[in-house]
Amino acid sequence: MLSAKEFKTLFDQKYVPLCLFTNKYINDIEVSKDIVQDVFIKIWAKKITFRDKNCIHSYLYKSVKNKSLDYLKSSRYKFSEALSDHDMARLESDSYFYREIAVIETSDMIDDAINTLPKKCAQIIRLSMKGLTNLSVAEELEISHNTVKAQKKIAYRRLKPLLGGIYMMGLVFISTLSNFNL
Amino acid sequence: MRIFQRIIEFSRSIASSKIEGATLKGLKTSDLFTNEDIDYIQKNLSDADLLKERHLLKRQINKDKDFKKLQDQLSIPKSKIRWNYVAVAILVGIIVSSVIITSSPVNHSFQDEVFLPDAINPGTDKATLTLEDGSKIQINKDTELTTKSANIKGKQIVYNNSTATLNDTKYNYLTIPRGGQFSIVLSDGTKVWLNSESQLKYPIKFIEGTPRVVELIYGEAYFDVSPVSENQAADFHVLHNDHAIQVLGTEFNLKSYKDESKIYTTLVEGEVTINFKEKKHLLSPNEQSVLNLHNNKLTVSKVDVYAETSWKDGIFAFEKKPLKEIMAVLSRWYDIKVIFTKSDVSDKRFYGALRKDQNITSILERIKEYDIIKEYEIKGKTIVLR
Repeated sequence: MLSAKEFKTLFDQKYVPLCLFTNKYINDIEVSKDIVQDVFIKIWAKKITFRDKNCIHSYLYKSVKNKSLDYLKSSRYKFSEALSDHDMARLESDSYFYREIAVIETSDMIDDAINTLPKKCAQIIRLSMKGLTNLSVAEELEISHNTVKAQKKIAYRRLKPLLGGIYMMGLVFISTLSNFNL
Repeated sequence: MRIFQRIIEFSRSIASSKIEGATLKGLKTSDLFTNEDIDYIQKNLSDADLLKERHLLKRQINKDKDFKKLQDQLSIPKSKIRWNYVAVAILVGIIVSSVIITSSPVNHSFQDEVFLPDAINPGTDKATLTLEDGSKIQINKDTELTTKSANIKGKQIVYNNSTATLNDTKYNYLTIPRGGQFSIVLSDGTKVWLNSESQLKYPIKFIEGTPRVVELIYGEAYFDVSPVSENQAADFHVLHNDHAIQVLGTEFNLKSYKDESKIYTTLVEGEVTINFKEKKHLLSPNEQSVLNLHNNKLTVSKVDVYAETSWKDGIFAFEKKPLKEIMAVLSRWYDIKVIFTKSDVSDKRFYGALRKDQNITSILERIKEYDIIKEYEIKGKTIVLR
């Protein structure tokens, strides 16, 4: 079961991504927030125990999905909005579920990784990811083309361990193999 | 659950490719994700409108406010009986997990259990300024003050280049405690960032035409020195005991903590000369000199400048550093004491990047998750790693 500190940490890490994820079902951010909060409350109030981090996250996504579908099928919602059978089937599908998780998790990983870079470097990477060429980035930020290339190289070197290895928000530990008894 | 793990791994490979700017076409499809799915994910990560939409949605979410709402909700018992049940459950949880978060008695109300402020917090911007007459001013990020020679606002003290000429140089001291940091702009425009547990002595105004001299009494400072060309060709010197750095308009980091026997000078840009016991050493950018105070030997090597100086930008970065060194850095910022019960653990080396505003508990949880330590225990301001 989660300690108070672990609970707060979990909330800090997952609350916003889960609200965005839930909104993909509900399309109403206020209701989405309520749903996510209800799930967190349940975890605490029922003292649910988890085996590891993946279990917790998996539980969170499944719970908000189920609660969202319940809401969409509720009479209250149906009275005012109502989804077509086709739309409903889409939302209920596994592929929609997996896809949206991937979008949220990936964008979180990218944001967290980039946030460990110095400001200018982070700016360069963000613009590059939007599809800008090195020249366009250089123009946009009023720096040299070479600076852009050099900064990108530094960024990849720095971020590779973060994303290639075992990744956790804001912190990566990769021990050198010689010191680790595998 | 295995499906979820696969989704996470897939997300990680997408994130990696995206950052590298590599095409996602190479990504393998599976029973979980088709090409269409990959395109969809790709679009959601780079389309400007979709990104903007997500950004706008995020702004409508106030995480801290909503957490407070949760705390309130969780502390309002539906019935008295239920409250007692929950209080007992917490007690059991604490004993079983053997992680002591607070040493307060456990029959606290539910609300206090969630509320209780950490004894351990990340550092903040704070310092003590000692004026020329010996008086001391406590400064933090909310301080706003103007004196004859300086303006204090935000996380900075800015010294003005007041026209009054001084016949003898008057000095101020800036002292940063453990758990603090601060930055200062000297009267010539030189910017200095000071890390936890550091003290800098400097004149309130540099006299024109004469060498500009400051002294790092102890600790760590990052200097962005105003060029010689803009200061009537006056050199800039940083003194520290017998170790003197002569600067020619440049950026470098000087580290010499009281509890360590080495002085580290890292050059980011420009040129510096280190003078020690009548020997001169010239440093080039990306080089670091280490002076060992035990044998007075000075060695120079190439380093990752970012890892050595990222502290001033709010990040701790470690390149192949032993855990005990990582803990030493964290102990100054969080103002804690760290005890290892096994010495082989403290020697393990790591790469890492940490945001300085993180909770110490989340850092310790990570270390525990990697099986580097079996358990950690927090007792007030002391952490024991097993």
